[in-house]
Amino acid sequence: MTPSKPYRVFRTSALVLVVFTLMAPLLWMITASFKTNVDIYDTAKAFVFSPSLKNYETVLQQADYLQFIGNSLWVAFAATVLSLLLGVPAAYSMSRFTMKRSALVVLMARVIPGVSLLVPWYYVFSNLKLVGGFTVLILSHMFVSLPLIVYIMMGYFDGLPTELEEAALVDGLTHIGAFRRITLPLSVPGVATAGILSFIFSWNNFMFALVLSDSDTKTLPVAIFDFVGYASIDWGGLMAAATVVTLPIMLIALFVQKYVVSGLTAGATKG
Amino acid sequence: MRRRPIIGTSLAVVAAMSLAACGGGDGGEGSKTLRVTLVNHVWTENIKKALPEFEKQSGLTVEVTQLGEDQLSDQYNVKLNAGASDLDVMMYRPLQEGKQFGKNKYLADLTEKTKSDSAFEFGDFQAGPVQATTYEDKVVGVPIITEQEVLYYRKDLLTKSGFTAPPKTLDELKAQAAKVEADNPGVAGFVARTGKAAAVTQFSSFLFSFGGDFVDGSGKATVNTEQAKQAYAYYGGLLRDHGPENISTDMSWSEAMAIFTQGKAAFYTEANSLYKNATDPTKSKVVETVGFAPFPAGPAGSKPYNIPSWALGVNDNSENKDNAWKFVQWAAGKEQALAQQTAGVPGARASVWANPAATASYPKDLVEANTVSTANGVGHDRPLVVKVAQAREIVGQPIVDAITGKDAAASADTANEAFQKFLDDEAK
Amino acid sequence: MSAVTTPRTDAPAAPAAPQQDSAWSRWANKHRKWLFAAPAMTFVAVLIVFPVAWTGYLSLTDAEGSVRAESEFIGFQNYLDVLTDTDRFWPAVWRTVLFTGVVLFFEVVLGMAIALLLWRPFCGEKWVRVAILLPLVATPVAVGMMWRLIFDPNIGMANQLLGWVGVGPQPWLAGQHSALPTTMFIDVWQWTPMVVLILLAGLTSLSDEPQEAARIDGASTWQRFRHVTLPLLMPTVIVAILLRGIDALKTFDILYATKGRGGGSFHEVETLNVYAYGLSFDYNDYGVSSTVLIIFFLIIIGVMWALTYRKKGLGR
Repeated sequence: MTPSKPYRVFRTSALVLVVFTLMAPLLWMITASFKTNVDIYDTAKAFVFSPSLKNYETVLQQADYLQFIGNSLWVAFAATVLSLLLGVPAAYSMSRFTMKRSALVVLMARVIPGVSLLVPWYYVFSNLKLVGGFTVLILSHMFVSLPLIVYIMMGYFDGLPTELEEAALVDGLTHIGAFRRITLPLSVPGVATAGILSFIFSWNNFMFALVLSDSDTKTLPVAIFDFVGYASIDWGGLMAAATVVTLPIMLIALFVQKYVVSGLTAGATKG
Repeated sequence: MRRRPIIGTSLAVVAAMSLAACGGGDGGEGSKTLRVTLVNHVWTENIKKALPEFEKQSGLTVEVTQLGEDQLSDQYNVKLNAGASDLDVMMYRPLQEGKQFGKNKYLADLTEKTKSDSAFEFGDFQAGPVQATTYEDKVVGVPIITEQEVLYYRKDLLTKSGFTAPPKTLDELKAQAAKVEADNPGVAGFVARTGKAAAVTQFSSFLFSFGGDFVDGSGKATVNTEQAKQAYAYYGGLLRDHGPENISTDMSWSEAMAIFTQGKAAFYTEANSLYKNATDPTKSKVVETVGFAPFPAGPAGSKPYNIPSWALGVNDNSENKDNAWKFVQWAAGKEQALAQQTAGVPGARASVWANPAATASYPKDLVEANTVSTANGVGHDRPLVVKVAQAREIVGQPIVDAITGKDAAASADTANEAFQKFLDDEAK
Repeated sequence: MSAVTTPRTDAPAAPAAPQQDSAWSRWANKHRKWLFAAPAMTFVAVLIVFPVAWTGYLSLTDAEGSVRAESEFIGFQNYLDVLTDTDRFWPAVWRTVLFTGVVLFFEVVLGMAIALLLWRPFCGEKWVRVAILLPLVATPVAVGMMWRLIFDPNIGMANQLLGWVGVGPQPWLAGQHSALPTTMFIDVWQWTPMVVLILLAGLTSLSDEPQEAARIDGASTWQRFRHVTLPLLMPTVIVAILLRGIDALKTFDILYATKGRGGGSFHEVETLNVYAYGLSFDYNDYGVSSTVLIIFFLIIIGVMWALTYRKKGLGR
């Protein structure tokens, strides 16, 4: 049942419009990052201009962007790995024992407004002498990652047949042994999905890092806000910085597209 | 099956690594490491370049945290609130946060230290700024940057419209703005900050020059006096009638400055400390044509603000106060103050202002404008209260109402009522 | 469970390695349910309970300036003040509801339309999927910056485009009345793709049979969508609304990056989250801020509960 020709024409033009609307702003951002500020303000030079790498020089030299990239990578990575360590077994248990209320406790972290957490956290952590490093930042990002991971992995474990585990029990494995040797290896795609998504969300997180990071631990999204600082609205620099923040995560997402999609849509099809 | 051990091992390594990283961050015991929080500013760039010299001299290691204005105050709010000790030296705005920090005892008492050090010569600082960094008779900060409001203008556009000199009065400013705008389609006669809170400081000079103020001597709100109403109507009207098309009511200095430096406005009233944005060829198209003039006179004369915009303080909870003072001593000392002033950042030391070499690199007309402003200036540019942010929003409302064409006088009455209530609450 | 790769069922069974039959192992296996779940739950609970309790406590006091400063217990006075505040609070509630409602409507309708277009395989599908994924993973703060440039009234691309088709320049984010719709547009731009992906996953998992049956019965395309596809897809739609709804209620990054604190001079994009942030970090009014947060939290929970309830009602 191939669609009729008029429909195909309609569909193609509609999709071209969709793709254009989604891509054009991003392309515009990247274009502007190669312009000098004088060219950005000159509307006659919208498309014809001499590209310059100067903004990227500004971004990578004046502010220590390489360090911020490192910070972002480190925080996102550590928060993701630690959240996986906590979240995967929890999701397994919650799925196998249908612990709906317990799951709700973890998912509450996704619901609560972040503003209410900042001052209390800082208060507690500074009394525990834990501030002044990555600790608080990583913990706050875990708070974003963990519910996401639990949510995705619960959906994944729900869909894993239990027969193999049961067979392993018959073979003499303990329950934990069966989880480690049978279920976990089978869940690698799910874990990858959950991990990648948690990485993306942590990379993009703004509010926690805005308040909880200092100059040594500043992450990329906060760093780009610096360009709106006391000096001037440096649009070229801002767009270059925005590109620097967004491009790595977009590239990662493209490479692992399949996992990202399945993670974002987890739970969507459970009646 | 083969994958599991690898994953397991790497997980363990990562966990160990992150725990190791988490373990850090103590560094207490009157340490050799000094934590200094500074705002994004030309001053900060200059001081960072000079830092190695200080580190060598003192044997201390300085960790600089550099943040934008809003993030800086967000961080202070979180950290000082929590009683954090991981801040030693803090750069802050005496008129914005000074009273609040003083009231909450966030700032260490520096009175003894400033008085006992003869080489530092605290008496060299101008009286107005020092008053702003003093809370209940205790010196809690050292002023480092001062600001006055001046008129930025375009020499070429004025000449083209037949004006030989920048406006001396606010009436002339309005007339010249109208003429230049009529002669140059696409160029606004006048631009200035429009954001409710952001505009208050630049509006204050208009208010003073019309003969008004935010609060009178007895602590009563006075933003609905005849003078204040005229000032609101004038400022808002000028922007409404001769400002840029599609004028936004969110503009702070960066947006307004962008319009001026792209050649899209003839006049601009702004703090002189930002002049480098207009004279830096990588940011500005009007480097050759920008001129500076003293703030135009209103019915009460030319009364621009003359204020200390930034100061250095020491966190009262710091465990490293003596070393923190060493940094303040150096960064606000005579030598650095002179270097800063020479590099275009106006300071608070009288001796530096008296030194002609310090302003040799400035545009000549800017130096003249500064001299006039310093002589006539008013020592504040916003209501002097504890909760400045709220107060600015209240007294700023008539500004945006005037810009958007609402009745400025009625809005000023409403604002005055709200402001009086605010002052009463705060007095309790 | 079609969304996630189904594991191969012929995975090699593990060799039955000799198990350590220690007391610890027996204990661990017996209590594995809580052994597995407890760490994550404890982590979340520890990080939530204290802040929520503290926020609840502060909401009953007149704390301001510094949370360590002395404050007085004033009962429910803050709640009374906040709930009767028609100046900032109720407009913020209204904007939150409006923002969430409007973006959800457009995201679901557009998302459904695009998902239906993408449903059947076609040439170039891969590229469309890439285009859909990119806005979704882009950093919201960077996105905010990007749109600020595009919507700049004087130099932005948006007004240039309008100029080419003969429409005069618009103030966009700068206008008192156009700012909120503009931020809604940005949200729709960034998050419609998520709804597309969710609905697409749902559509792909539908079986073809009911469609075929309806076609044989002579139902039109619209009728087939309205009476066959849509009802079957409804649970997925609810999930999409639930996931997006929570995030839309809590939107912060884009509003903060485009309009700053207070949501502009007329508070034109000040939602509850932005208002609470301003109360805490701009005004240091911790008592009132906590009150607003508690009410906001209750609203979110209420909305979630209502949606899950509806989802259950529709289940099957």
